[in-house]
Amino acid sequence: MTTSFPPIEGHDISLRYRLDRANVRTIKEATVQTLRRQRTVESLNALDGVSFSVKRGEIFGVVGPNGAGKSTLMKVIARVLPPTSGRVIVRGRVAPMIELGSGMNPELTARENIVIYGALLGRDPAHMRDRVPAIVEWAGVEEFVDVPTRSYSSGMLARLAFGVATDIKPEVLVVDEVLSVGDKAFRAKSQDRMFELINGGSAVVVVSHSLPLLRDVSTRAMWLDRGRIKMLGDATEVLDGYRASG
Amino acid sequence: MTTLPSTDVYDSDLRRRPLITEFQNFWRYRGLIKLLVVRDLTVRYKRSVLGVWWTILNPALTIAVLWIVFSNFFGKQGELDEPYIVYLTAGILIATYFTQGVIAAGSAIVNSRNVLIKIYIPPEIFSLSAGVAAAAHFIISLVPMLLLQVLTGQGIPWTVILVPIPLFFMLMLVTGLGLLIASAAVYFRDVIDIAKVITQLLNYLIPTFWTIDFISDSPKALALVEGNPLYSFLVVFRSWAYGGPDASAWLVGVMAMSGLVALTLGVYVFSRNWRRVVVRL
Repeated sequence: MTTSFPPIEGHDISLRYRLDRANVRTIKEATVQTLRRQRTVESLNALDGVSFSVKRGEIFGVVGPNGAGKSTLMKVIARVLPPTSGRVIVRGRVAPMIELGSGMNPELTARENIVIYGALLGRDPAHMRDRVPAIVEWAGVEEFVDVPTRSYSSGMLARLAFGVATDIKPEVLVVDEVLSVGDKAFRAKSQDRMFELINGGSAVVVVSHSLPLLRDVSTRAMWLDRGRIKMLGDATEVLDGYRASG
Repeated sequence: MTTLPSTDVYDSDLRRRPLITEFQNFWRYRGLIKLLVVRDLTVRYKRSVLGVWWTILNPALTIAVLWIVFSNFFGKQGELDEPYIVYLTAGILIATYFTQGVIAAGSAIVNSRNVLIKIYIPPEIFSLSAGVAAAAHFIISLVPMLLLQVLTGQGIPWTVILVPIPLFFMLMLVTGLGLLIASAAVYFRDVIDIAKVITQLLNYLIPTFWTIDFISDSPKALALVEGNPLYSFLVVFRSWAYGGPDASAWLVGVMAMSGLVALTLGVYVFSRNWRRVVVRL
């Protein structure tokens, strides 16, 4: 990894979704609609010319109303969605913290799930097996390590998933509304873990609707509206600007 | 916390190199593929009371019913050297492997949507894993088939060690066809249902429970059956697994080619479309 370049660079990123008015999901519907010449496909610019960069040790907050493109941007950074045009460069390991628990199979035990979830995040299964004790200890579920996770509470699941995702020192941490799940103790604990990662040099991107939280943690911020950047800069200024807009 | 060396750089401008990128991904994610296959087997095992027996019981019941109905009809005119039950079992196992493999590999990407829209994993990994899981089920059901061969006195020839060859080319065939279906299934959900119907029809077109003598009077029917790539897998498998009639070199070639062509085509089409596919997921 080259330290002189910022871990996240976005150059003029656009992402276009095809929007089917009639919500055609089957060949049958598509044929009928096409024959009747009713098929209208529109496109929606979820992101429209977004440029930014996030440096090491920076916590980059993203705000905006629903449908502004925040989650789409997270997915572009997490490599899940390739941009339609523009370019995104992410240097280093990405730990995506997007809606925890997906990738956990309720029929499997915590131990099995840790290994699979880790492998889904691109980590070596043998390495994950060694990390099980440390992860369950952090998540506070040591006693239930060999219990199927279907009997876990949502808080336990969230802690477990967060524990796996942050078990490495990622260069990039992508956090989407995660810190609002779980109880107060978990929120404090996960914030501590997040700061640990940041002090270790990770670049962090946080999406949240909670302005007080973002004000507490972020150093810089971006305000998105209908896929475009409305404001980009110092966190306090951007968050104040967003709040003032109602 | 552990610090791992990291050289990962994601640059969205770097395009996939068709076939090369996918095969690199298969190799890179081999650990995950293994875990997904084991998960598929354990979840199935844990979910049902019958556990792993279900894998065997399902084809076993089909075989039992077909055997009861047809054993007095096929194999009575001396057109079979082997016991009809062995002949039938081999047919059902190949047909089941093909159908389940194609459908599982074809549904894998849509079914893994929840993960794929949140974490980056090359989607083709899920199709290959589903194909490998189908191969694993096939291997499990080979055990009772070999048992049947012993019980009926058919025996187990040395050529049984060659069975991994049709198994492997079938894996290529189901993964390739699965990837073609998977790309289309993201656009239209009924593609899977249509694929189910077509694979079922293809299965009727190969002599699973019926014998080829049954249609030998009709050149057209023969051409239809022998032109079906699945036919080559069936003949080769029967020949090597229990010493059925010799498979010609031509049929072995057809089998290998259909595996290679299907996989190359499936991977190539997927590679060219994956950007559109992930956005539509």
